[in-house]
Amino acid sequence: MSAIKKFLGIVWSIMGVGIIPLVIMQAMKEIAAKPSEENWIFWSIVIVVLMPIISFSLITFGIFALKGEYDVLE
Amino acid sequence: MAQNVTNVSKTEEVSSTRRVIAASSVGTLIEWYDFYIFGTLAKIISEQFFPKDNPTAALLATLATFAAGFVIRPFGALFFGRLGDLIGRKYTFLVTLVIMGGSTFAIGLVPGYKTIGFFAPAIVFILRLLQGLALGGEYGGAATYVAEHSPAGQRGFWTSFIQTTATLGLFLALGVILTVRQTLGVETFSDWGWRIPFLLSSLLVGVSVFIRMRMSESPMFVKMKKEGKTSANPLAESFKEKDNLKMVLIALLGATAGQGVVWYTGQFYALSFLQNACNVEFVQSNVIISIALLIGTPFFIVFGALSDKIGRKYIMMAGMLIAVLSYGPIYNNMYDTANLKTKIEVAEKTTVETNEAVKGTDTITTTVTKKTYDDGTTYKETKKLTVPLDEAKKAELAANGKLKPETKKEVTLPQSLYYKMIGLVLIQVIFVTMVYGPIAAFLVEIFPTRIRYTSMSLPYHIGNGVFGGLVPLISTRLVEASKEPGYSNPLTNMINSVTGHIGTPSGQADPLAGLMYPILIASVSFVIGMLYISNKTNNMDVE
Repeated sequence: MSAIKKFLGIVWSIMGVGIIPLVIMQAMKEIAAKPSEENWIFWSIVIVVLMPIISFSLITFGIFALKGEYDVLE
Repeated sequence: MAQNVTNVSKTEEVSSTRRVIAASSVGTLIEWYDFYIFGTLAKIISEQFFPKDNPTAALLATLATFAAGFVIRPFGALFFGRLGDLIGRKYTFLVTLVIMGGSTFAIGLVPGYKTIGFFAPAIVFILRLLQGLALGGEYGGAATYVAEHSPAGQRGFWTSFIQTTATLGLFLALGVILTVRQTLGVETFSDWGWRIPFLLSSLLVGVSVFIRMRMSESPMFVKMKKEGKTSANPLAESFKEKDNLKMVLIALLGATAGQGVVWYTGQFYALSFLQNACNVEFVQSNVIISIALLIGTPFFIVFGALSDKIGRKYIMMAGMLIAVLSYGPIYNNMYDTANLKTKIEVAEKTTVETNEAVKGTDTITTTVTKKTYDDGTTYKETKKLTVPLDEAKKAELAANGKLKPETKKEVTLPQSLYYKMIGLVLIQVIFVTMVYGPIAAFLVEIFPTRIRYTSMSLPYHIGNGVFGGLVPLISTRLVEASKEPGYSNPLTNMINSVTGHIGTPSGQADPLAGLMYPILIASVSFVIGMLYISNKTNNMDVE
């Protein structure tokens, strides 16, 4: 179980990093296609609020998992 | 004799715990009530405080304000959490109650956009932020306070009463709104009657402040303070020390994020889906949700108490997993239950009435079509076309394609389908009780007393407030996006292949598209929770 937790630590970190360009690219694509107020509000909330929380928590959590910090919680 | 003394002391202990629960729960319930009347009245608030030119933008602006109410909650958690760990639980959650009550009352007094222009949405926005800030400080305080009064081995049971308050607060909000609306009539309610639920809050908060003033401080906090063991800097200790930060992260990713989306889907998204995707009439849709909430509420206590016996983890994880697996079929069933395309119209009962009236500089033509279907379902469609009397204006609007009628669709379900709909929502409320019932005890038990208020409040409000609170905004957006050509939703495809339904025609919204967000978040939370959370936290010593 400990090995799976550590391996998944890499997955969580990659997800945390990968989500940043994905979200930004999608936002740019949608805003360029339709630069409405509605689009700006929505993507601002996602980029300023949701994305940093998801990225930071997944990356930090992934690093802790990789270092075996959660092994003691078996 | 000794036996009698023990019995008396036990009875006193239980009675004292009950008083603590009652006093804490009433205040928390009122805070939730205050918070939810804004969300429940989102449409009316949008009309009153935001420019009407673009109804979608106005609604989205309200949802954004609604989200701001949630996004600000973690800041309230940090601010008041720190205070609670420094000066005590009692005074901190007394302050949050006063701020919440004051801002809710003030929203009820703000003049509309027509009267004071841009100041109206700006003031409402600020008051909404204050509401979010207060709520951020309230829940952690109440949960910590109750848990620190509860006997070991019963913490899940006693804290589950705090867990019922969010749902009962929503129930109370819906009940008050429906009662006021029915009493005053739809027009008066939309005009000024919507202010009454906000103003009523001052009365409820007054009673609750009085009750809370008479409560004593948490015994654990008092002991810790006497021994000089309180934290000098709860924020730094909570988030800079690795041992605490890793618990904050696991609480967020493995529990509260999944709990938040299941919670909002089962209560708010269900209501929005009934009204917008199924077009179920306003009163009926609210009554469906209210009844399901009322029947489901005792299960918070059932699962809270059960978590004292078998542990918090497996109950919360089971709730998330079942929710993820069954949302598709449940919502598909809800949609089909109200879908007029699957019903046969009784043509001889169809009526069409048209009225034309001149109001100011416009001619308003209202066409009301009423239909009845073979299973007893009735449908009312109201089309309102506003045409300027001025020919030049009329030609300009027609050229811009803006001469379109406003259409309002209302489906009223017959008794049997109405009960079925209550059942489908109730199943979702049960998932809510599974993930939410044990979570206060879970959060309280993973953090030490000296930083508990701060540490548990943040993951709770990010999970519940941000991940959960954004469900309406993101799900509405996903449904809108499903109208784009070439759109494909794996959930809908899977359901269509199982049920034999033909997919949504291109250009039409996919009603199930909005579920992708809660399903994705709950799935990740389930995997992380199952792998990394220990089930041994129940009955831990919280000293």
